[in-house]
Amino acid sequence: MTATVRGALDLQKLFTARLHAARVRPYLATALFALRPVESRRVPTMAVDRHWRCYVSPAFVDRTPVEELAGVWVHEVSHLLRDHHGRGDRIASQQGLTGRGERLRMNIAADCEINDDVYGDGLARPEGVVDPALLRLPEGKLMEEYLTMFRLGPHTQGLVWLDCGSGADGLEREWDLGADGAYGLSDQERDAVRFRVAQGITGQPGDAPKGWRRWAEEAFHPPQPWRDLLGAAVRSAASSAGAGEDYTYGRPSRRSTSLPGIVLPSLRRRPPRVSVVVDTSGSVSDTELGSALLEVAAIARALGGRRDLVTVLSCDAAAHLVRPVCRAENIPLVGGGGTDLRTGFARALRATPRPDVIVALTDGQTPWPDRQPPCRTVVGLFPRHGAARSWDEEDPDYVPDTPPNWARVVTIGPQPY
Amino acid sequence: MRSSIPSVTPATPHHTELDVAADLLTLLRDTATEPRPDIQLEALTLAVAADLPVLLWGEPGIGKTAALNQLAAALDLPLTTVIASVHEPSDFAGLPVVGDDPAVQGVPMAPPDWAVRLVRAGRGLLFLDELSTAPPAVQAALLRVVLERRIGALRLPAGVRIVAAANPRSSAADGWELSAPLANRFVHLQWTYQHETVVRGLGGTWPRAALPRLAPQRLPEAVAYARRAVCGLLTGRPALVHQMPNNEARRGGPWPSPRSWQMALCLTAFATAAGSSREVLSMLVRGTVGDGPGLELLASLDRMDLPDPETLLAAPATAELPERGDLRQVVLDAVVAAVRERPDRARWDAAWTLLVRALETGAPDLVVVPATTLAALRQPDWDVPAAIERLTGVVSLSRRADRVAAAAGSGR
Repeated sequence: MTATVRGALDLQKLFTARLHAARVRPYLATALFALRPVESRRVPTMAVDRHWRCYVSPAFVDRTPVEELAGVWVHEVSHLLRDHHGRGDRIASQQGLTGRGERLRMNIAADCEINDDVYGDGLARPEGVVDPALLRLPEGKLMEEYLTMFRLGPHTQGLVWLDCGSGADGLEREWDLGADGAYGLSDQERDAVRFRVAQGITGQPGDAPKGWRRWAEEAFHPPQPWRDLLGAAVRSAASSAGAGEDYTYGRPSRRSTSLPGIVLPSLRRRPPRVSVVVDTSGSVSDTELGSALLEVAAIARALGGRRDLVTVLSCDAAAHLVRPVCRAENIPLVGGGGTDLRTGFARALRATPRPDVIVALTDGQTPWPDRQPPCRTVVGLFPRHGAARSWDEEDPDYVPDTPPNWARVVTIGPQPY
Repeated sequence: MRSSIPSVTPATPHHTELDVAADLLTLLRDTATEPRPDIQLEALTLAVAADLPVLLWGEPGIGKTAALNQLAAALDLPLTTVIASVHEPSDFAGLPVVGDDPAVQGVPMAPPDWAVRLVRAGRGLLFLDELSTAPPAVQAALLRVVLERRIGALRLPAGVRIVAAANPRSSAADGWELSAPLANRFVHLQWTYQHETVVRGLGGTWPRAALPRLAPQRLPEAVAYARRAVCGLLTGRPALVHQMPNNEARRGGPWPSPRSWQMALCLTAFATAAGSSREVLSMLVRGTVGDGPGLELLASLDRMDLPDPETLLAAPATAELPERGDLRQVVLDAVVAAVRERPDRARWDAAWTLLVRALETGAPDLVVVPATTLAALRQPDWDVPAAIERLTGVVSLSRRADRVAAAAGSGR
C-alpha cells in the first residue's frame, strides 16, 4: 500500500485524509468530494482555485501526517464554500487594493476567519496555520473585518510563504488551470454544491459549529446594508396608500387645462407624520441609538417631512416626553432599566393628528402590543451580540418575543460584506 | 448597431462646423458586432422568447437600454420605450374621456399614442424603464399592463413582448420598492457589466445576441422534462409552493407562488428545447422563484440527470458513473439503497461489480461508505463475491482512516 514511487503523489494518503475529514465533518462531505485533486510541483503545500480544483504538492503530502492533511482538506474547502475569492475580488475593486501584498493580507484574513473554529473535534490542527490569536486579534470576525485590523509587518514575516491559491484571495496563480481546464466546476455547479452543504447544515444545525451555521444562513441571503433597508421601509410606509404622496381625483390635475373633456387625477402630497419610539432601556447603547435616530430623521426629511412632523419619544418601562426633532443631536434620551414598548406605542398613537408611521428602535427584548396599531409600523431591531448575547450560551432555549408580523423589521447591525 | 461602412467622404467641402461634427459622430457610431456567448443576454432572449415579462435590475448607466436595443435588433422588433416614473396612472389605465352622453355611452378609457401605435404594428418590444421609481399608483396601473396586457380599452397583441428595468434600492435614493404582486409577475434578471465586453465594445465591437434556436423535434420531450422536474420537486416540498417574502432584504424580488412556478416550468422547457447551458437556466429560474427554491429546482434537475440505479444494476460492468466526486457518491449511495429496498443475490453481486468499477475509475474514498453499507446487507447463504478482492485497497484505506480517528480521539 505504502510502496509508492519516490516523488509521486501519494493518493492513498491524500484520500485517507479526505475520508477522515468527511467522517468527522459530515456536513462538508459533499464539498470535500466535489474537490478534484491535481498534482502540482509548483504549489508550496495545498492550494485551491475558484473552479474547485485542489492543487497538491507531493512533497507536502509525504511530510505531513494524515490527521493534519485532513485539517488542510477542510481548510481549503472552507475557502471555497465561503467564497473568499469572490469577496476578495469585491474588496479589491471597491477599495482599490492591488498587488501581491494586499492579496496575501486577504489570504491571511481569510485564514483567520476559517481557523478560529475549524479544528479540534477529531480534526488535527496543521502545523503553522494562521489564527487570530497569532496576530493578537479577536476571534469570530469575518475576513473583511480582519482586513481592517492588521498590516503586513515584522510579525507577519513568517507568513509570506502562505499560499492557499486563487480560491482564497482571487489572484490567479501561475499553476492555475483556468476556466477552460479539466475538472473545473462551473458557476452553477459551484452554487449547487454550496447550496447542498448549506442545506445540510441548516437541516441539522446541532452538528455544526456556530461559524458554519452563520455561514449557512447567510450563504444565499447575505445581509444587506441596514441603512438602505431602513430607508426603504420608512419610505414605503410613509408613501403607501393613505399616507404621504399619491394620486387623487380630489383636485384637478395640472394637465387638465390642456386636455378639455378628460378627467385626470393629480398628484397630492401630504408630508407624512413620523413618530419614532426609542427603547432607552439599559440594553441599547447610545451609539447604536444615535446613529439609527439620525438615520430616521434624515429619511423623514428627505421625504419632505417638515421637522416638526417627526417626533421622538423615549420609552423604557414608561413613556417619556414627546418632542419634535429640531436637531437630532439634542434629543434627550431619558430612561434606563426595563422596557415596555406598549406604553410607547400607546403614547405615540394618542397624539393628534395621528402619526402615519411609527418607527420603533429597540433591541426586541420587550412585550409588543397585542393588536396592530392603526398606522404603518417599522421596527429597527438591534441584534444582541458580544457580552449581551450570553443568554445564548447559558440558556439556548430562551428566545425573546420576536416582533409581530404586522411590523416591517429591519435588523440594524454591522455593515455586511 | 450599424455594421456597414458609413459613407464619409472627407474630400467634400464642409459647409458648416456642424457638418464636420456630424462626420465625426458618424465615425464614432460606426461599430461592428460579433457573436459572443453572453449568459445575461441569452437569458434575456430566452425569457422574451417565452413571452414572460422580464425585469432587469441594474445600476444606472450599466447598459440596460443598450442591451434592449440589441435585443430589439436581433429579434427584428420595433422598440417602444416608456419611462414609467414620468407617467401618471391614467397613462396606463387609460384616460377617461367624457363623451356626449356618459349615462348611455359610458366613459371610454382612451389609450396613449404609443399603445395605439404598438397595437397597430401588431408586434414590438415594450420597454418600461425606471419602474422602481414610479409611485405606487402608477405601479398598480402597470400591473394590468404587464399581466393582462391591457392599456385602457386596448389589448396588446400577442406579438408584443414586455421588458422592464429598475434600479436597485441602494442606488435609487428616492425610489419606491416594487410591490410583492408586481414583483411576482416578472422574471428578475440582475444586470451587471462584463469588463471585457465593455472594453471591446468601446473599442468598436459589441457582442451580438444570438437567438436561442428551439429544436422542433425536442419540444414534447422538453415539456415532459420540465413538468417532471417541477412536479417532482413540489410533490416532495409542499412548503415551496407559496412563500411570501417575509424578510426585508427579499422584498421587491422574486418569490415562489403557483404563478411563478408556472413561469419556472415554462422557462425550463424553453431552456431544454434551446439546449441552453445550466448557467442560463439557473439565472432564469432563480430570477423567477427566488434563490432558495430556484436552487432546489436546479438540484432536483441534477438528480434527474444522474443515472438511474436500476439501469446501473442491470449492466454493472459497463456502467457510466459521473465524473464529479460528490455526484458519484450520490449515485453509489442510491445503488446501495436500491439493493436494500429489494435485496436479492444477483442485485447484491451487481452492486459489488459496480463498486469495483467505481474504484477503478475514480477516487477510492468515495467507495468506502457504500461498500460498508453493502457488506452489512449480506444474507448468511450468500457467498462473498470474487470482486470483493479488488476492494482490499478500500478496506485498508478505511482502516487507516479509523486509526487516524482513534489517534485524534485519544490525543485530545
